[in-house]
Amino acid sequence: MQTVKNNKRWSLRDVIFLAIIAIFFGIIYQLWSYAYYALAATPLKPYANDLTLGVWIMAGPLAGVLLRKVGASVVGEMLASAVEMLLFSSWGASTLLSGFIQGIGNELGFACTGYRNWSKTGLTFSAIGATIVTFIWDLFQSGYSQYSLGLLITLFIIRLISIGFFAGVLVYWIQQLTAKTGLIK
Amino acid sequence: MPKKKHLLNTAVMTVIMLGIGLPLSFSLSVKLNLLICLLAIFYLIACRVSFKTAIIVLLVAFPLALGSWWSFLVFGTGDRWHTAWIYGTRVYAYLLLGMTVTMTTSVKELLFSLEEHLHLSATFVYGLLAAFNLLGRIKQEYRQIQYSALIRGQVYHLWQPGLYLRIILTALNWSGDLAEAMTSQGFSEGEPRTQMQHDPLPVWQWGLAVILILSYCWAAFIIRPW
Repeated sequence: MQTVKNNKRWSLRDVIFLAIIAIFFGIIYQLWSYAYYALAATPLKPYANDLTLGVWIMAGPLAGVLLRKVGASVVGEMLASAVEMLLFSSWGASTLLSGFIQGIGNELGFACTGYRNWSKTGLTFSAIGATIVTFIWDLFQSGYSQYSLGLLITLFIIRLISIGFFAGVLVYWIQQLTAKTGLIK
Repeated sequence: MPKKKHLLNTAVMTVIMLGIGLPLSFSLSVKLNLLICLLAIFYLIACRVSFKTAIIVLLVAFPLALGSWWSFLVFGTGDRWHTAWIYGTRVYAYLLLGMTVTMTTSVKELLFSLEEHLHLSATFVYGLLAAFNLLGRIKQEYRQIQYSALIRGQVYHLWQPGLYLRIILTALNWSGDLAEAMTSQGFSEGEPRTQMQHDPLPVWQWGLAVILILSYCWAAFIIRPW
């Protein structure tokens, strides 16, 4: 079986690996968007955004823990958003911008550990980083600054839980499973 | 599939899309949002994109625009109507900006154009191209992963790590095979490549991009129309 070696440079193999995962994520996003749409067509749209956000953010930290490279989270998330925009997005240009912002949030988390911890601690920081950075972005981009403070606090907590589960706990479980196979060293 | 037509160079359109998309996130103007939509629609008509596809894409986004608009009427503070219209129309401004790129060019053309004019590395260009060519097989594989779980009496839900493990294993195997195949066909990472196709880009198009982006920022942050 093939294994992945970790070094700083981006090899052809790394790029194809992340791009294939990004396309799988494109399919998964499409499935999620049905649930999202049911809520998003109502005034509950901000709740829909924050409840499902974790799924949209997963690709970044997953790329990070699999490749363990500086920049892997940003590149992984950017690839997933580029695939999404090219294949089936209803968000148009904002898909790429949000992908970049989300990737930066995760990347900051891993950077906080000096890129040394790619497990529980790194993922915890990455989830917190992504929650804070994307929330600040949405204050402007999605107009959250116009909502009342009470709603903002509720949304922030929902977002933290969603990102914490999908981009934190679930990614950690996936990493543990993958580690058991011994394919990624 | 018929070849998609574009009037401006793909790399320039990408720069315009991101160059206007970023300040758009901070601008608070309904009129400018509508202006962007209008200009993008004119460009799409000029490029003769498929009318039917465009209508479908625009209709699919309607619930999102409605949800944004409505949520500010219910939860907004301050001038609710103005805010509602800003964020409702913004959904379409983003979407139409994106469509000026995605509906007028193919993935292959876009990647080659970004390589030639914005110096995206060949490893990324050809790696992405290789993966995109697998699109049909990846969709098939996703179904197969679900079916093979069903045979064992399991259902993979989107919150179960097992599903993602299968995806990662597939990606590992395929990316290894593809990268080896490409290397054995003469692809060398980081080496200069012979350009077989030339993607023309007259200098005036860069000028147009700069003028469009700067005048948008000027209008959005200095004039600030309603």
